Amino acid sequence: MPDLERELRGLGESIAFPPTPDLAASVRARLPERTSSLWPRRLVLVAAVLGAAVVAGLAIPQARSAILRVFGIGALRVEYVDKLPAVEPRAALDLGPAISAEHAPFRLLESSLLGEPDGVYASGNVVTQLYGSPDRVRLLVTQISGHGLRSDVVKKVVGTTTNTDFVSIAGLSTQALWIEGAPHILSLPNAPDRLAANTLIWIQGNRTMRLEGAETLDEAVEIAQSFQ
Amino acid sequence: MHQAIAFRTAYLVVRSAEDAEEVAADAFLKAYRALGRFRRGKPFRPWLLTIVANEARNSLRGAARRQALALRVADQGRPGDAAPSPEAAAIGAERRSRLLEALDRLPDDQRLAVECRFFLELDEAETAAVLGVRRGTAKSRLSRALDRLREEVPEDA
Repeated sequence: MPDLERELRGLGESIAFPPTPDLAASVRARLPERTSSLWPRRLVLVAAVLGAAVVAGLAIPQARSAILRVFGIGALRVEYVDKLPAVEPRAALDLGPAISAEHAPFRLLESSLLGEPDGVYASGNVVTQLYGSPDRVRLLVTQISGHGLRSDVVKKVVGTTTNTDFVSIAGLSTQALWIEGAPHILSLPNAPDRLAANTLIWIQGNRTMRLEGAETLDEAVEIAQSFQ
Repeated sequence: MHQAIAFRTAYLVVRSAEDAEEVAADAFLKAYRALGRFRRGKPFRPWLLTIVANEARNSLRGAARRQALALRVADQGRPGDAAPSPEAAAIGAERRSRLLEALDRLPDDQRLAVECRFFLELDEAETAAVLGVRRGTAKSRLSRALDRLREEVPEDA
């Protein structure tokens, strides 16, 4: 080793680095507020407020949420409403029974970026790949085969404080829908309605794909492009 | 397992123990969130260090001038200490200070390349990850830095 490099290594050994703090504790201290799950406390609060608004609304039927606009993307129906209806804020994640990927009712697309999911669940022709664990979800990818569902089977209900954008994804022929901001409601068959976090919906082949939990559109698009 | 290297990497960029702790904890949290995007089979450390270095650079914006690295006082060796390595023994106290001062005068990207490579003993890929550049670029930065140090602190000095 040349002398200077040798000396620099020696110098490195004499540097008084501050002692490494217990980072695990600092990280844990940050967890509850910032990454607890797809349903951080903030969302639950929003849900509670929304719930109250709707309960009040129910007493006066005319004040119930009005559907402002409806459209379909693949097998999903998206409704825009002036007020979100009530949902159980802490409705447990009900994705249907766990299955092995080989037993899915259709061939599942797989992400080269995400690798194997931590769980696969099926409910009819709606199959969900879960990354993380059921009580600490990182990402959910839902694949729905076919476009010919009854329009009310899988539904998104979006309030006025949620942003939706149509986006193009390189490599996919159709546009995708990005839903971001305040939580929206997801209705799946055989499961209670629940609040959903940022979601990207796109159509790939004869499947409607839905990715929930990406923090940004860029991240969501990157993940979407990795499905084959 | 990666706490020390993450913390020290952050420290070399931000030069404050308190800020480095913040940065490293934020980076671990980000890494945890993005774990799903980490490609299995790839080395984990460069990926983590990229996140740490990005966090550190972001936290630097607008921050005060960084503190200089300090040398340990107890280098004379205390009873029970392991014997210094041949590398450590090969460099005298005065030359250490001169090298450290010269290092501090280098442009930030060159300084960090030297510190990553020799103080943290990162490999080329990890050094490049911290610098946020390709391996070739990291290599040429390091060699420019070494040339300059040789000029500033000649070996016979």
